[in-house]
Amino acid sequence: MPKMIRRTLLGLAAAATLAAAPVAAAADPIRVGMSGGYFPFTFVEQDELKGFEVDFMNAVGEEIGAEIRFETMAFSGLIGALQSGRIDTVANQITITPERQERFVFSEPYVYDGAQVVTRRGNDEITGPESLKGRSVAVNLGSNFEQLLRDLPYAGEIDIRTYESNIEQDVALGRVDAFVMDRVSATQVISERNLPLQLAGKPFSTIENALPFRDDEAGRALRDRVNEAIATLKENGTLAEISRKWLGDDVTTAP
Amino acid sequence: MQGLDLDYMVGLLPVLLSYLPLTLQLAVTGMALALLLACLLAVVRVLQVPVLDPLVRLFISFFRGTPLLVQLFLFYYGLPQVFAFLTAINGITATIIGLTLHFAAYMAESIRAAIVGIDRSQTEAALSIGMTTSQMMRRIVLPQAARVAAPTLMNYFIDMIKSTSLAFTLGVTELMGATQKEAAGSFLYFEAFITVAVIYWIVVEGLSWVQRRMEVFLNRAYAR
Repeated sequence: MPKMIRRTLLGLAAAATLAAAPVAAAADPIRVGMSGGYFPFTFVEQDELKGFEVDFMNAVGEEIGAEIRFETMAFSGLIGALQSGRIDTVANQITITPERQERFVFSEPYVYDGAQVVTRRGNDEITGPESLKGRSVAVNLGSNFEQLLRDLPYAGEIDIRTYESNIEQDVALGRVDAFVMDRVSATQVISERNLPLQLAGKPFSTIENALPFRDDEAGRALRDRVNEAIATLKENGTLAEISRKWLGDDVTTAP
Repeated sequence: MQGLDLDYMVGLLPVLLSYLPLTLQLAVTGMALALLLACLLAVVRVLQVPVLDPLVRLFISFFRGTPLLVQLFLFYYGLPQVFAFLTAINGITATIIGLTLHFAAYMAESIRAAIVGIDRSQTEAALSIGMTTSQMMRRIVLPQAARVAAPTLMNYFIDMIKSTSLAFTLGVTELMGATQKEAAGSFLYFEAFITVAVIYWIVVEGLSWVQRRMEVFLNRAYAR
């Protein structure tokens, strides 16, 4: 059906039912959920939302000619909000996993990264994922790092603790032995913020981060439009530029 | 131990204060609606209205028996999967509805206790001089019950103000949500959370002052 007619029909339907239900027409802004609490991807300074994800989504919006509206909420609410149709996608370094692929469709990856173990500065006993046996390890609730740890052959010997936020702080305080996060933001946290932390060993397991969309017609259509934009942004160097601006390195191409 | 970054706190204060009106709006609206609902629920319970009474009991049992966060998630993320039209309800409305239902359940019991606690001689005296049940409730029972219930209701209001901090899980950036995001950007957790703690504390202290004034007013018949 031509877009014009469909939009008119949708408009009529909306007017007829007088329901305030959100109708996803092409002109509607894309509602992007993020936690606002994941430095340097999404965070707030003096009331201004910024970070890699913010710049990236704005570039995508510009490319496909849609307004981007950011909705910040606690990380644990993001997936529920996507599923219930309150937002259209999540820009929060969401890693592609088989479990998530069962429920959502993903865009092309726009960040390639690895999982990194981080400890309190001076703790040289932990040198990577192998030395986590018998240790307490913090991960963000609902993050794929939790699953990554649980998939290790010796997962039963690791005391995995899930957090809503502030895992860096708890490791810096020495309350848990280590946290696992993606290498890029772990490096950022250590270099830019005054927390006594250090990287423990090399990153393990490659991870690909992308934008999830609802697995329905509208969701897949939006995913396709966003994919075109991502391809263009990769080609013309915009994405690499955004990556270097926030992360000091280009992590947006496959290794 | 690092020093306290006072400049950061001073810069953060106006930012956080700009979110205080929303926090208060959530709490005040929630409290007004909860009070109304709680009175209705309490009356049903006191008069043991047939049919309604067991329903009210079930309502109170559920909303007192489950955490507020569970109720908010259930209402905001769970129900819309079953009833799609519910996505039309935004986070602010959902928070207010959640606070209302949750706190009405508690407050209904506290109001019921205050009504039941009025000495029977009072109601008997009112009826003996020819008052109707409605007159008796308005003129004799409720003014005395209000005096008894006021301190506990104020407690719930204070609790409600602090419970608005759960709204961030529904995407509503109120006082706590704003603080969390600012702290995530600066990593100055101590500074950010001590600032927000003081803001909540001052607000609640202001309310405690109002409560003392209100109690003097409600006690005027008993003042010596």
